[in-house]
Amino acid sequence: MMAANNYFGFTHGGTQYGAATASAAYGGQTGYAVAPAATAATYGTQRAAATGYDTAYQAAAATQAAHAHAHAAAAAASAYDASKSAYYQQAAAAYPAAPPQPQPTYDATAKPAYSTPATYAQAAYGSVYSAPAPAASYPSQPYSAPAQPAKQTANRGTSAYDTALYNAATMYVAQQNKTGGGGGGGRSGWKNYNKSGVGAGLGRRPKPPPKAQQLHYCDVCRISCAGPQTYKEHLEGQKHKKKEAAVKLAAAGGGGGGARACGASALRCELCDVTCTGADAYAAHVRGIKHQKVVKLHTMLGKPIPSTEPVKLQPAKKTVAGAPKIAFVASGGLSTVGCSADCPPGDKEDEREDDADAEPEVQPVGQDYIEEIRGDDGKALSFNCKLCDCKFNDPNAKEMHMKGRRHRLQYKKKVQPDLEVKVKPSMHQRKLAEAKAQRMLVRDELWARRRMHDGVEEDDRVYWEGADWWRGPHHHHHHAMGMGYGPVGRRPETSDDRHVLAKHADIYPPEQQLQDIQRAVSHTEKALKSLSDALADQGKLKGQPAKVAAKVDDKKEEKPEGKEDGRDNQLFSFVGEGEAAPSGSPATPGPGTAGARALKGVMRVGLLAKGLLLRGDRDVRLVVLCHDRPTVTLLKRVAADLPHHLSRVKGSSEEPKYKVELLPAEGAVSVSDGSVNVLVSLTSAIMREPAEGGDIKRDDKDVLPRQKCLDALAALRHAKWFQARAASLQSCVIIIRIMRDLCRRIPNWTPLNPYAMELLVSGVMQSAGGALSPGEALRRVMEAAAGGLLLDHGPGLRDPCEKDLVDALGNLPPQKREDLTASAQQFLRQIAFRQIHKVLDMEPLPKVKHAAGNWKFPRKRRRSNTDQDPDTPNGDNKVVKKEDNSE
Amino acid sequence: MVRGAGRGGRGMPGRGGMGRPPFSRPRVLMLRPPFDLILAEPAFPRCKPAPDDSALTQALLKRHTELCPTPTEQAAVLSLITKLQTVLDNLVVAPGDFAACQLEEVRQVGSYKKGTMMAGKNVADIVVIMKTLPTKEAVEGLSNKVNEELNKLMRAEGLSPVTCASHERGFTVTAAAAVRVLVTTLHQNLRKLEPEVHLDYKVISSHLAAIRHSRWFEENAHHSSIKVLIRLLRDMCARHAGLEPLTPWMIDLLAHHCIMNNPARQALPINVAFRRALSLLAGGLFLPGCAGLPDPCEAAHSRAHTALDLVAQDHAAATAQTLLRVVARGGHRYVLGLQAFEGGKDISTEITVWDGVVVSPLAPAYSDTPEPMDTDDKDEEGTQDGVAA
Repeated sequence: MMAANNYFGFTHGGTQYGAATASAAYGGQTGYAVAPAATAATYGTQRAAATGYDTAYQAAAATQAAHAHAHAAAAAASAYDASKSAYYQQAAAAYPAAPPQPQPTYDATAKPAYSTPATYAQAAYGSVYSAPAPAASYPSQPYSAPAQPAKQTANRGTSAYDTALYNAATMYVAQQNKTGGGGGGGRSGWKNYNKSGVGAGLGRRPKPPPKAQQLHYCDVCRISCAGPQTYKEHLEGQKHKKKEAAVKLAAAGGGGGGARACGASALRCELCDVTCTGADAYAAHVRGIKHQKVVKLHTMLGKPIPSTEPVKLQPAKKTVAGAPKIAFVASGGLSTVGCSADCPPGDKEDEREDDADAEPEVQPVGQDYIEEIRGDDGKALSFNCKLCDCKFNDPNAKEMHMKGRRHRLQYKKKVQPDLEVKVKPSMHQRKLAEAKAQRMLVRDELWARRRMHDGVEEDDRVYWEGADWWRGPHHHHHHAMGMGYGPVGRRPETSDDRHVLAKHADIYPPEQQLQDIQRAVSHTEKALKSLSDALADQGKLKGQPAKVAAKVDDKKEEKPEGKEDGRDNQLFSFVGEGEAAPSGSPATPGPGTAGARALKGVMRVGLLAKGLLLRGDRDVRLVVLCHDRPTVTLLKRVAADLPHHLSRVKGSSEEPKYKVELLPAEGAVSVSDGSVNVLVSLTSAIMREPAEGGDIKRDDKDVLPRQKCLDALAALRHAKWFQARAASLQSCVIIIRIMRDLCRRIPNWTPLNPYAMELLVSGVMQSAGGALSPGEALRRVMEAAAGGLLLDHGPGLRDPCEKDLVDALGNLPPQKREDLTASAQQFLRQIAFRQIHKVLDMEPLPKVKHAAGNWKFPRKRRRSNTDQDPDTPNGDNKVVKKEDNSE
Repeated sequence: MVRGAGRGGRGMPGRGGMGRPPFSRPRVLMLRPPFDLILAEPAFPRCKPAPDDSALTQALLKRHTELCPTPTEQAAVLSLITKLQTVLDNLVVAPGDFAACQLEEVRQVGSYKKGTMMAGKNVADIVVIMKTLPTKEAVEGLSNKVNEELNKLMRAEGLSPVTCASHERGFTVTAAAAVRVLVTTLHQNLRKLEPEVHLDYKVISSHLAAIRHSRWFEENAHHSSIKVLIRLLRDMCARHAGLEPLTPWMIDLLAHHCIMNNPARQALPINVAFRRALSLLAGGLFLPGCAGLPDPCEAAHSRAHTALDLVAQDHAAATAQTLLRVVARGGHRYVLGLQAFEGGKDISTEITVWDGVVVSPLAPAYSDTPEPMDTDDKDEEGTQDGVAA
């Protein structure tokens, strides 16, 4: 605005230039601002040769496009405006005969303002050019340096040049011009020029003569200073700099705002420098006391009073980013200068200008959302805007409201998001606030959502909702190492897992029971070995008495190093190393095969071998492989001799009293120590051979029941299969134990034979394609059964221990399958709905406290917390330890 | 409310290094897909002859032909939707003096678009994306405009006029057939929605989702076996109370999964796929804690069935479990609706006897009453928030 003010002064000083023309012209001229410094520097010399000017100008014009948008450039232009107006009148006088040459070039750059005004003297022309071109160089700091001394030496009255950076730059430029104009005359030339120039200038229009007494008036701060010294001090003062910075800032903002405000034509009161948003407001202003006061003041001062006709604001606004000093000269002829000197400062005005952007030509929007409230007589009493939630009685007010910014904003917000609403300068802040509110909203939503699942622990939330498994504060690496069952690692322990493990710990046989079983089995195995030796010795004594002693000795020596019993659940072979294994396969035995033992070895089968014993299990099975078909005779012999060998094996201690019972129907003997029953079945591999005619018939009476023997053989294979396949699967043994317990407890599941169950579980685990935690594993088993795997149309459970396709479930009647499936389906849903304790028939476990509580305590306490808790399911301690290790 | 209690915990420095981890911290719990016999085939090789399923296949195909819309119905829908599309397209391109709202795009969605329309339900869906925000007034205005324009067209062709009825999702244009015009808005406008001024957020976003669903369907589920299975399943679900809450989108995904998701990546026969669908539902595909079917049209890790509430999930699973056993006993004719069961009773809630085998429905497992263990959680959550704040 400064520029306008300044210019205003000149206008009234008698120049023919209309304010609009000048400001439009220079406003569009920002391109000059970027003229290369070199050009500016050399300009003076080039200028001497009139043609040189052209090139310089063109260079400036060329670069213009690239930088036209820079705010600084815009500011420079406006700064230039301010100084120019002061300057070029003199210059115009100095160059009365400037070469007309530049004219076409100028036109080409589309600055019609220059070419159109007829009043624009050609004489002024050249200088006008010269001024803008170097003005471009103002942003480069160095120019201010030469400017300063220039001012000092020159000591010119036109001290407007030194007020600020921009002015300095401009002055430098002006100096250059003048030097150029003076034919490269340098400093002396300047002075000379000055004299003549001013003289000429005075002839044309009232311009401050250098020696005139002046008023040191700072237009930025609106103060006048007594003398140059005070004025300078003022300029260097904190206060002034602050204000100046504020003005600059506003100018920089205004550069962008000007373009944005296109079309916005607010009304301005030139006198008061007040911008009004509309004609009504303007009228109100003119009537207002403030305006009246100013008018009064100006009349008193003898300053010109602009017409009350409002000035329509041009889209391209000019702001002054400097503090051009206006030298008021106390000569009568200059009384018209600077009428607006005491107008409000530029920054305020900027604000108002933006305010003024409310557009008179705006289309009212949202008619649909304004409802009329009618009185009884049907006359509209008031209007209610549903968007803004406000009421008005006056239709005009309604109209105004519909055009208003607030309404439009609401409309934009609620109806048409792309509606253009003119923004206020405080938009930045508003945006920040909006963004903040948005963030709050999002956050609220987030927490609201979390609270919805208030009753559910965080991992439950994910469990139910499953929106995003990878989020949530609980369950970190703390539980990472899981239960120590290997690579489950990264998975946390779920509630299901804890239930399954707790149940498992419950059904797992106590140590004492395991030891009892182990001892009884071990004794039995050793006794059988001893018996086998005895039988072999007997047989050998008959045949080759010489060898026997050595053999027996060998064996006794071997024993301590070799296997003592079938502890590793593999076949405990009775055949010593020195003893040649029966020549050929068992398929080609002959009654005459001498040296072959009748009892070749013993193996643990069933629960014992598979490790599926549960609490309360007392019956275990051993299978003795015989060389030949086991006969009742042999069984009787074993039953008779075993007690003797047992007592030998167990040594002196009288602790367990073994009772041996002969069970010919089972093809077995039972060894019992009162608490543990070991069933020793006799069988032979050749029982699988299809019986051959007479041979069988002859033995039939004596041979043990074939089916029992086959069962025993199958049990052997199952044990081997289990060890090879099932035991290695994650969670498999645990789940099979759990399922065994289930089958024991629940009638619907009892028909599922143990082997089929094992097949089912192992198949399910195997198909999971990865490690499963116990909870998941149990659920998956239920899923399989619930999905109809065991139903009639299902594929059946293929027995891997048979060559033929045998369904391990084959014997299950349809109703049993149906019940089994229905039960599994119910269980599955119970597991899914956090009722696994019902499936497992146990009390629901309390939530793990420390899992979530950890966050409340420092790490050290966490550890003690868990350590103090004796009830933590097994594995939890492990978890904590591992975690501590990792820390 | 704004400053939620738990909010303060985050970003609060210097809390002894034990500050709550940010909410976005990676979580290590993974959901597991359910047991799926088709995928688990190697672990469960068939060891007995496959049952003769021709009866089921026949029944399925027969039922499907019954479910297909008649040519008349199809023609009626086609003619209406073509006109409507024209009208709406005109509004998109040249709104003229129509100022109630601005339209961005118009898209056909739903069963008509997917080619899974059912007989007797000749309702097509079309989604209108508004550039402006979908206020109720805007919907009303659009409805009136469409009505006006459409009736012009109808008059020109000498057809009976259409009627437009607004509802909370948009409006329905009814003539011989019906087209539901579902209103939504641009994605970036979603957060500007206000419940009292605009259509419901959920409705709006579901319409956007419908567009994604149609696209996904076009790209992935064009196999006609899938469409057959979708019709059969939708019909089955509609006739059994427990399965009713399943949305068409869940059924689409389920059908696609059942037909296409197998080791060979070849479409499975319809009878196998049908059994598989029942078996998966019975096996807890749509139960909590199961990976279910990942929704390809939502952000990662989102599951299709979480739109159901827990009671519905339980009920759906229980119903499917009963139906599975009924079908296993040869009751597919009832399940498919070829034969009404005892005067239209829901077979999934009745005890039935098949060749002496009793098939009984299952009790719900989900109970609404919080168990004692859940109160612990509440305390925990509460104190945590308190501490964090």
